[in-house]
Amino acid sequence: MISTFFDHELKAFWRSKNTGKSIAVKVVMGLLLLYLFVCVLLIGLFLDKVLMATPPNVDVIVKFCGTILIYFLADLLMRLQLQELPTLKVQPYLHLSVKRNTVVGYLALTAMLSFFNLWPIVIFGPFIIKVILPAHGAVTALVFLFSVIALSVFNNYLALYIKRKANINGWIFLIAGVVLGLLLCGDFVWHLYSLRSASYFFFGNLIGKPYLVLIPLILAGAMFYLNFYYLKDNLYLEELGSKKVSAYKSSSEIPLLNRYGHIGDLVANEIKLILRNKRPRSALIMGLFLMLYGLIFYTNPQYSVGMKNAFAVFAGMFMTGIFIINYGQFMYSWQASHFDGILVSKVKFTDFLRAKFFLFTVVSTVAFLLTIPYIYFGWQIVLTHFVMYLWNLGVNTTIVLYFANRNYKRIDLSKGASFNWEGVGSTQLLLSIPLLILPFAIYLPFKFVNYPNVGLAVMAILGVVFVLTREFWIKKLEEDFYKKRYKIAEGFRNK
Amino acid sequence: MIEIKNLKKIYNGVTVVNVPHLQINKGESIGLVGNNGAGKTTLFRMILDLIRAESGEVLSNGVNVAGAEAWKSYTSSYLDEGFLIDYLTPEEYLYFIGGLHQQNKAQVDEKLAGLAEFFNGEIINKGKYIRDLSKGNQCKVGVGACLLQQPELLMLDEPFANIDPSTQFRLKNILKDQNKNHGVTTIVSSHDLNHVTDVCERILLMEKGVVIKDIATSSSTLSELEEYFGVGQSIASYSVDKEENH
Repeated sequence: MISTFFDHELKAFWRSKNTGKSIAVKVVMGLLLLYLFVCVLLIGLFLDKVLMATPPNVDVIVKFCGTILIYFLADLLMRLQLQELPTLKVQPYLHLSVKRNTVVGYLALTAMLSFFNLWPIVIFGPFIIKVILPAHGAVTALVFLFSVIALSVFNNYLALYIKRKANINGWIFLIAGVVLGLLLCGDFVWHLYSLRSASYFFFGNLIGKPYLVLIPLILAGAMFYLNFYYLKDNLYLEELGSKKVSAYKSSSEIPLLNRYGHIGDLVANEIKLILRNKRPRSALIMGLFLMLYGLIFYTNPQYSVGMKNAFAVFAGMFMTGIFIINYGQFMYSWQASHFDGILVSKVKFTDFLRAKFFLFTVVSTVAFLLTIPYIYFGWQIVLTHFVMYLWNLGVNTTIVLYFANRNYKRIDLSKGASFNWEGVGSTQLLLSIPLLILPFAIYLPFKFVNYPNVGLAVMAILGVVFVLTREFWIKKLEEDFYKKRYKIAEGFRNK
Repeated sequence: MIEIKNLKKIYNGVTVVNVPHLQINKGESIGLVGNNGAGKTTLFRMILDLIRAESGEVLSNGVNVAGAEAWKSYTSSYLDEGFLIDYLTPEEYLYFIGGLHQQNKAQVDEKLAGLAEFFNGEIINKGKYIRDLSKGNQCKVGVGACLLQQPELLMLDEPFANIDPSTQFRLKNILKDQNKNHGVTTIVSSHDLNHVTDVCERILLMEKGVVIKDIATSSSTLSELEEYFGVGQSIASYSVDKEENH
């Protein structure tokens, strides 16, 4: 039975519309994953060198033993953020004559299929073979390997257990996060205790007393069975799903937007779309974090003032335009689920486009205002940000909407944004080319002949010209849309 | 109101809709029936300019709907949940739709008060987003939004499918009232032959994309349709067809 489940799982994966139809996307994603894997593997292979490079100067095995526990605490924190619950996949089998144990066992086992379970082995495995095997023999190496795998399994099920509990009560998630944070802070910030010595206490003893491996193994087994029985007792749709019990949802208005008529209404709807759905909301939050992006360049003492100003072009474009890039690249997919409704409603497409420009303007303006504190690093930097803000409003919005007419992929708004490739297609790859290259194609030539300010001025003028000629571009975009709308609507209807 | 000329839609080499000519006059109430895959929804979508016809055209008040905007101001429709903005509350959605037709909140509230019986206290101020409503209640929101627009042409695709019996009766009365007292042209598709013969004065029967029957509803219509849909009756019913065809 389990093999049938796995067969279905594989089919679900390969036949999923989100797997990415175009080979180009698959290849790029494959390369990215391979790159990530190689990076982690390199860390694993040279872990002894890495550990030796850090203070204090003690034996590498002592350091290694001290690191493991810290790794798994951080790992748990990451899992809580990123690991997905394998959930409603079992729904079609619940009413069939399949034993509950089989269904639950399958759910529990597939939970192991996560990249998080691969990393510990890739990171610690090479070290164990390279250093511990020659120093302490095969038995010790083996118990180390088993301990690492067992802790990984333990973490895996603990994270899922907390996540499942958190579905019923959101506070649990917060409490778990805070406890983990405090545990880490207790060592690294307040120095109340040392996680390193706690970790070494166990793993150091493991070298002499291999039977201690039973502790992580028992922990892992206990956590697995805790999950297993919890699932078995709660094998109901509402508890398996990631859908929380919903609170009262009140209607709300965004008062300022009322003044702008239809367009204001459309913008208000789109703001609600962003705030009330998981994926666009996380896109917005990521954008907020990116406001700190400039610090990477501006605080680096090695860069000269001229260099920093050049980097401000890059950083300024992302900081003031991240929303346009991040949210705009999936335009109109966000509205895929009700696109038919928009097409038959009395919304003029020009108004629809104006609302998009309006939204971009509002969010970019807020983003620009947030970057003003960078004036600490010199007024030139904020000036450059302002030029990039104009560029974003004028040129990048138009480019993004031009590509929006070529985007036919539906997006499910309720899924998270991290590692979510739904809606990603060749359009997004193509879009990134003009977005990333155009500003530099204009700026860098001026920079090389030592007139960077002329370059900035040209970009500012271009930005303003595009803003002023916006109606013209809206007309062009509308004409273009009318040629493509059937294909867009068709694509959005394909669930 | 609606005139269809040589309309054809082909998917993967299969003709799913093929209507050489069809005239729907102002004030008519049309019932569209046919088995799954007969092309009802596809026909609806082409009338609403949601999919491209391979050939032919749909004229709404004499103007081709493809690429035009004018028909949107007097046509309201609900085909499926894809017509609703699912992250809004029903009130927000209805105010939005009202706003598109230059109605302020007070006017919308007034109209919604008239729909209170139809909504049956399950829609307004329930503190739920549309996506959290059941399919039946979503259908009520969709139909409510249609009525709010005071259309001249009302198109509903299988509105009876998910709603409870009480709401079915209320919807039938609303449709009759809209048609008789407000002169609204209604086009409704349904699998429920009782409902459709009750509400509609003219029945179009589709099979494999073709309108094979176009009959004015009479006392014998229901049995005639039941005969067609009854298993193994298709050949016999064709011969009757010729005489009664208009």
